[in-house]
Amino acid sequence: MKIEAIKRAEAIDVSILIGGKAGDGVLFTGNILARLLKRYGWWAVTYRDFPSNIRGEGTQYVIRASLEPIENCREGVDIFLAFDCEAIKKHAPRLNKGALLLCDGADAAILPTSVSSEVVAIAFPLRQPAKEKFGKELYKNMMAIGALSYLLGLEVNPLEDIVRELFFEKKGEAVVETNLKAVYLGYELGQKLIPKNKRWFLPRFTDNRRMILMGDEAVALGALAAGCRFFAAYPICPASEIWQWLAPRIKDFGGVVVQVEDELAALNMAIGAAYAGARAMTATSGPGASLMMEAFSLAGMIETPVVIAHVQRVGPSTGLPTKTQQGDLLQWIFGAHGEFPRIVLAPGSIEECFTFTVSAFNLAEKLQGPVVILLDLDLGQNLRTTHFPLAQDWIIDRGKLLSADEVAKNKEYKRYLITEDGISPRTFPGISGGIHLVESVEHGENGLRSEDPEIRKKMMEKRMRKLLSIAPNLIPPIIFGPPEAEIAVIGVGSTKGPILEALKFLREEGIQAKFFQVRTLWPFPTREVSEFLQGTRQLVIVENNYTGQLLTLLQSQVCFSPNLKVEGLRKYLPDNFTPEEIYRGLKQLCQ
Amino acid sequence: MPIKSDLAKRNKDLFSRQPPTWCPGCGLYGILEALKRAAVSLELEPAEIVVVTGIGCHGRFPNYFLSYGFHGLHGRVVPVASGIKMVNPKLKVIGISGDGDAYSIGLNHLLHAARRNSNILIIVPNNRVFALTQGQASPTSPRGFVSISTPFGTVETPLDGLKLALGAGATFIARGFSGEVDHLVSLFKAGLSHSGFALIDVLSPCITYNKINTYDWYKKRIEILPSTEEVANDKEQAWRWLNREDRFVLGILYMEVRDSFEQLILSDSKRAIAHLELHPEKEKVFRLMEKFI
Ligand SMILES: Cc1ncc(C[n+]2csc(CCOP(=O)(O)OP(=O)(O)O)c2C)c(N)n1
Ligand code: SF4
Ligand SMILES: [Mg+2]
Repeated sequence: MKIEAIKRAEAIDVSILIGGKAGDGVLFTGNILARLLKRYGWWAVTYRDFPSNIRGEGTQYVIRASLEPIENCREGVDIFLAFDCEAIKKHAPRLNKGALLLCDGADAAILPTSVSSEVVAIAFPLRQPAKEKFGKELYKNMMAIGALSYLLGLEVNPLEDIVRELFFEKKGEAVVETNLKAVYLGYELGQKLIPKNKRWFLPRFTDNRRMILMGDEAVALGALAAGCRFFAAYPICPASEIWQWLAPRIKDFGGVVVQVEDELAALNMAIGAAYAGARAMTATSGPGASLMMEAFSLAGMIETPVVIAHVQRVGPSTGLPTKTQQGDLLQWIFGAHGEFPRIVLAPGSIEECFTFTVSAFNLAEKLQGPVVILLDLDLGQNLRTTHFPLAQDWIIDRGKLLSADEVAKNKEYKRYLITEDGISPRTFPGISGGIHLVESVEHGENGLRSEDPEIRKKMMEKRMRKLLSIAPNLIPPIIFGPPEAEIAVIGVGSTKGPILEALKFLREEGIQAKFFQVRTLWPFPTREVSEFLQGTRQLVIVENNYTGQLLTLLQSQVCFSPNLKVEGLRKYLPDNFTPEEIYRGLKQLCQ
Repeated sequence: MPIKSDLAKRNKDLFSRQPPTWCPGCGLYGILEALKRAAVSLELEPAEIVVVTGIGCHGRFPNYFLSYGFHGLHGRVVPVASGIKMVNPKLKVIGISGDGDAYSIGLNHLLHAARRNSNILIIVPNNRVFALTQGQASPTSPRGFVSISTPFGTVETPLDGLKLALGAGATFIARGFSGEVDHLVSLFKAGLSHSGFALIDVLSPCITYNKINTYDWYKKRIEILPSTEEVANDKEQAWRWLNREDRFVLGILYMEVRDSFEQLILSDSKRAIAHLELHPEKEKVFRLMEKFI
């Protein structure tokens, strides 16, 4: 039995789906399970699909665990825990052969015909016993975790630790005890109801050198590590987690988080703080980004470093606030009036969320201008397992910053001094001898407004030159796969995981493909893409939007050879690609 | 801290950058003069002051007033000023925001800064017109105001920013008049010394685009409160003054002592965030990462 189970474990990858309605505690249950699997030494990732209201509509949460590093969930599901029958109707087609379905509150008889006969379905009462034993339906979630632990063959002690960490500090020992009782009750019910041959026995590995967290949290960690000490924002899904994580912790670093009246205030306030000398940041999503455009341009003109994290959700307009999309790829590149140097970084993993955020602050101060970290909901809000620590080392580079003594030595300080690299040494208010004016109107070296065409020309060139000067410091792209591969794929952000897994599927069939991960979206890595495409016949751009924004960007920045067949693989359904979808898409496009 | 300048040189020229080029007779001259005198009298240094302005004729203020200056966007004076103050509470942060800037496009910020009690001084040169854009009606234009944007006269009721600020929780509101510079100096000194949000609305004639609210027109309609030294924390009285229809009551209309936003929100309001030495603080960050294990 045990040996067979381990064999099965080696073959997996196990995917667990929890389905129910918003308000059922699906997220809570799934999060604990994901953390538990991580503590078990597995690589766990989650996929959340939530409605934007707090209660009532269908929600699903997938947890995938694997012995190999993974970045994303898959289509198929091995274990399905349904809190209601509607969830079953919706997700039954995803069940793998031999899958197990546990359904609360209903007979297994309600299984729709779309469920394969190879799926074992059992009624698994949760709400009712929870109510009877503990007086509250809520405890069904802990019971579910107990039942799933039995089903997966997990020992209970790591779970006990997690329950304690979750409840002890805030709620005390009594609450811990009740929750543990619920876990055990679920476990016992599992023993009674789950067929023995359907059990899994996931082996336990001791690996505590891994963490599990969301991209938003990694961005927040990166901000603290980079010395961000001022954060102003207006609540918006899916960026609020950055701020919520920072809010209770930034004080320990001497910093402050402010909830402001709107996004206009958020960015303008961050710019004010940055001008006065702090490393400052804001975070938002599409609607807030639209409101920030004017101030974005201001930061470019007055040459103030500021960092903006944008976690994309589905648009246009309010769109689907809790669903993922890459529909704002061009917003910060071509949005905002006028021309000014700007940088847009696009992390594709949790580690990159951290390291790119640190880089964003360094780049902003070197450039003396705005830098955007562009994520999407899939990367921002789903949990992923990654190595501890997120980086071994990092630096803080504040660019051309004058000390008070250096300022004092200046005979006449010029904020916008014209230099070879375009970057003018900076100082902050409060320092004698450094008095200057930052001016949103076109200005001369001393910051005073000017409409002289010669000055305009020089200043424009000075500002734009900065981007060239810091080019060597930009984050380079990464190329995966053999250079001679026939199929070339380009993608950005959260499609990285599914693209790499799709390439693995292809490799298993003997098809070679290579992948160019765009990591600095702007300035665009034109030279690197051109080199990557040399000798390639077949290019597929994978992106989560309708119009092919990444393709549009490529077409404007790279000269394609006439022999190159260029295709777009796009998805504008409100979820990220699965690796299976990309695999199928690539096979179809590259026949 | 900035080095104190030579006492002998402590006259208002200490704060002069360039000669102003506003229309001769513009109310902004009185405001500029008064602010320089207030700064001299409070023994402030140019390097410890930041003047933030919006877009409008008032926006040119930092071109003429010598200190650190930030000429930003139309309507965003208040958030910029708050951001500066929060990271360096030692600075005197003064926002100069027109009636269009503060009460139209930027009104939201004004009310929230009042609510927070951000420790900044906002001066509104209220010329009751959009001057820089050549004379459209503003939210404070008198009813019936004929302008290029309102050829048949405005039909809206003008708003009073001081009433809004008082309602939103401002701890210092005052009204002045560009034609009464000595009085303005006393208001500015009080506003600069106030710990918390201070809004000073200055009736300020635009001789080019507002032919109604002229110096003479105001002179007949102002009433200056006797003392600006002691002001009761009396909201009822403030409302009565603000509601006077026959007169513009000039002076500090309301003042209250309440902890400022910075005092409440900063872990150490004496130490400037802007002056923190930044290090990777690896050990601390690693400890936070460990929580995700
Ligand atoms: C977002 C934006 N909208 C419009 C303008 C055009 N604009 C410049 S100044 C101004 C009105 C200024 O009025 P006020 O704030 O009263 O300043 P004043 O010129 O009277 O001092 C407007 C509408 C702008 N600069 N920015
Ligand atoms: S247009 Fe009006 S506000 Fe502007 S400078 Fe002239 S008088 Fe002053
Ligand atoms: Mg005006």
